[in-house]
Amino acid sequence: MVLEATMVCMDNSEWMRNGDYSPTRFQAQADAINLICGAKTQSNPENTVGVLTMAGKGPRVLITPTNDLGKILQALHGLEVGGEMRMTSGVQVAQLALKHRQNKHQRQRIVLFAGSPVLADKAVLEGMGKKLKKNNVALDIVSFGEDDGEKVEKLEALLNAVNNGDNSHIVHIPGGERVLSDVLISSSIFTGDGEGGSGFAAAAAASAAAAAVGGGGGAYDFGVDPNLDPELALALRVSMEEERARQEAAMKRSAEDSTAKGQQAGESSSAPDVAMSDVGLVDTTDKSKDMMIDDDTALLQQAIAMSMAQAAQAAAAAGGGPATTDTSMEESGGDDQDLAYALQMSMQQAAAAASAAQGSADVNQVLGDQSFVSSVLSSLPGVDPNDPNVRDVLASLQTDEGKNDDQATKDKSK
Amino acid sequence: MATTATPATTAAPVQLPLGQVDLADCIEWQSVECLNENSLHTSVNALKQGYREDNGLYLESDADEQLLLYIPFNQVVKLHSLIIRGPPEEGPRTLKLFANRPNMGFSNVTDFPPNDTVIASLENLEGKPIPLKYVKFQSVRSLTLFVEDNQGGGEVTQLQKLAIVGSTVETTNMKDLKKISENEG
Repeated sequence: MVLEATMVCMDNSEWMRNGDYSPTRFQAQADAINLICGAKTQSNPENTVGVLTMAGKGPRVLITPTNDLGKILQALHGLEVGGEMRMTSGVQVAQLALKHRQNKHQRQRIVLFAGSPVLADKAVLEGMGKKLKKNNVALDIVSFGEDDGEKVEKLEALLNAVNNGDNSHIVHIPGGERVLSDVLISSSIFTGDGEGGSGFAAAAAASAAAAAVGGGGGAYDFGVDPNLDPELALALRVSMEEERARQEAAMKRSAEDSTAKGQQAGESSSAPDVAMSDVGLVDTTDKSKDMMIDDDTALLQQAIAMSMAQAAQAAAAAGGGPATTDTSMEESGGDDQDLAYALQMSMQQAAAAASAAQGSADVNQVLGDQSFVSSVLSSLPGVDPNDPNVRDVLASLQTDEGKNDDQATKDKSK
Repeated sequence: MATTATPATTAAPVQLPLGQVDLADCIEWQSVECLNENSLHTSVNALKQGYREDNGLYLESDADEQLLLYIPFNQVVKLHSLIIRGPPEEGPRTLKLFANRPNMGFSNVTDFPPNDTVIASLENLEGKPIPLKYVKFQSVRSLTLFVEDNQGGGEVTQLQKLAIVGSTVETTNMKDLKKISENEG
C-alpha cells in the first residue's frame, strides 16, 4: 500500500492513429490508462492520479492529481490526436504537477506512455532522468507502438538514470496479438515495488477497470485471470510459494543426505528412474516458478524424486485405492492433456507404492482391474483403448469384466 | 556571512546557550522531506536523537552533491543556531536556509533569497555550533535547508548530525494536550 501521487503522460501524437493495437493505438492506450488509474486509486484511498497529454500544441494537463476516478475518465474523453510527442517537456510538466501535490506524504510517480519515436537525444533524456531521481520521482515507462531502432536504447537509458532502489520499471509491448492493458496488468508496473503482495492486491483491485476494458484470456500465471477470481489466484500463488519452500527444504535435506550417502545416489535404481521422467514434467511446469536448473540439476532431481515419492505414498494412503483416485483424475483431467499426463505419472507411482506395500501378488489384481487399466490407456496420448491389439492383451489379463466394463465407459463419458 | 562568535565547545555534549533548546522534539517527523537523499542513508539518520550521535549512520546525497531538507515544526519556533557534524571531505560546505518555504525544489532554490547562508568550516563539521541570523528566524513554522556543495567538491555529501537549536514561541503544543479520561473527570 504505497501512498502515491501519479501523473500519467499520454501520447496523443499522430502515430496513435495506427491500428496495430486493437482498436487503435490511441484507444488501447486510453484503456490502459483507465486500468492504471483504477489500480492506483484503489490500492490506497489517499492515492491520487492525474493525466496529461504530451502531443498537440504542447503538453496539456487534462486533470491534476485527484482520487476521483470519474473525473479522470471524463478527462480522457474527446481527446484529439495530432502533432508530435514532446517527451521532455511533458515529463517536466508532470513533475511540476506532482511537486504541487496537496498531500506531501505521497511519493511521486510518473507513468510515461511512449508510442511514437523518441526525438530527444539520449544525453538529454539522461539529464532529465537524473533530475527526476534528484527530486525523488519514480518513473514507469510503457513502450509500445513505433520503434525507430533507437527508442528502446533511449528509454532504457532514461530509466537507468531515474531508477533508485528499483522503484522504476519499463515494459516493452510489441504490437499485434495481445491487448495493451492485458500485458500491463501482469507487468511490474502493476506488481512492482518489490512488495509482491500489495502489488498483487493493486492488480486485483483493478478488476473493475479491467472489466470495463473487457480484456480476457491470455497468459496469466496458472492460466487463471486474477481479476476474475482474485481469491483463487491468491490461493494458487500462496500454494505455489509453499510448494517452493517445501522443495527448497527438501533440496537442503537431500544435499545433507548426499554428503553422507556419497555414491549411494547413483545405485538406487528404480525410484530415480521414474523420477527422471517426472523431473522433465516438473521442469516444464516450473518455468513460471523461476526454478533455476543449472549445475545443481542432479541435486534437484534427487530432491524432486524424494518429494515425488512422498507425494505418491501420501496419495496412495489418502486415496484408499488406485481406482478411486483414477476416477477423480479422469474428472479433473478433462481436456488438459498435460495435466492428465502428469496425474497419470503420479498415479503410476501411487499404484507402484501401493502394490509394493501389499506384495507382488496385488500387482496382478491391479492389472486385472479392467476399469483402471483401460482408463490409464485411454488417458495415454497416442494409445487407442479400442485398438484390437490392446483389446487382446486386456482380454488375456481379464478375469471379471461385466460390471467393470460399464464403469470404464462411464469414466470415458466423463 | 555568519561567523562564529561563541567560544568553541567541541566536547561531546554541546553546551547550549541559556534559554535555547534542541528543537528535535518540535519536528513534525511524518512531514520531513529530503530530496536527493540516498534511500539507504536517509535524513532520519542525521536528524533523530540517538541516530545522529552515531557516526556510522549518516545522511548521504544520491545523484549529485546537493541536498534539500524540508523540516516542518509542530509549533512556531525561533532558531538560534545549527550544530552539524560530517566527514572533512564529504561534509557539507555551503548551507542556505529558508524559513517558511514549503514546496521548494532544486529548480527554484534560486528564486528566493535565502534567509541566511552559512559556510561551514572544518571546526563546524566537528560539532561547533553555527549561529544563525537570529532576527531572520523569529517565527518559523518550517525550515528548508539547502546543502549546495561539500568540502571536497565531490559528488557525494554526507551529514552525520543536524541539530537545530532555538526556542519555542509561546504557542500551544497540541501534542502536550492530554485527553483526560472520564473517571478522573
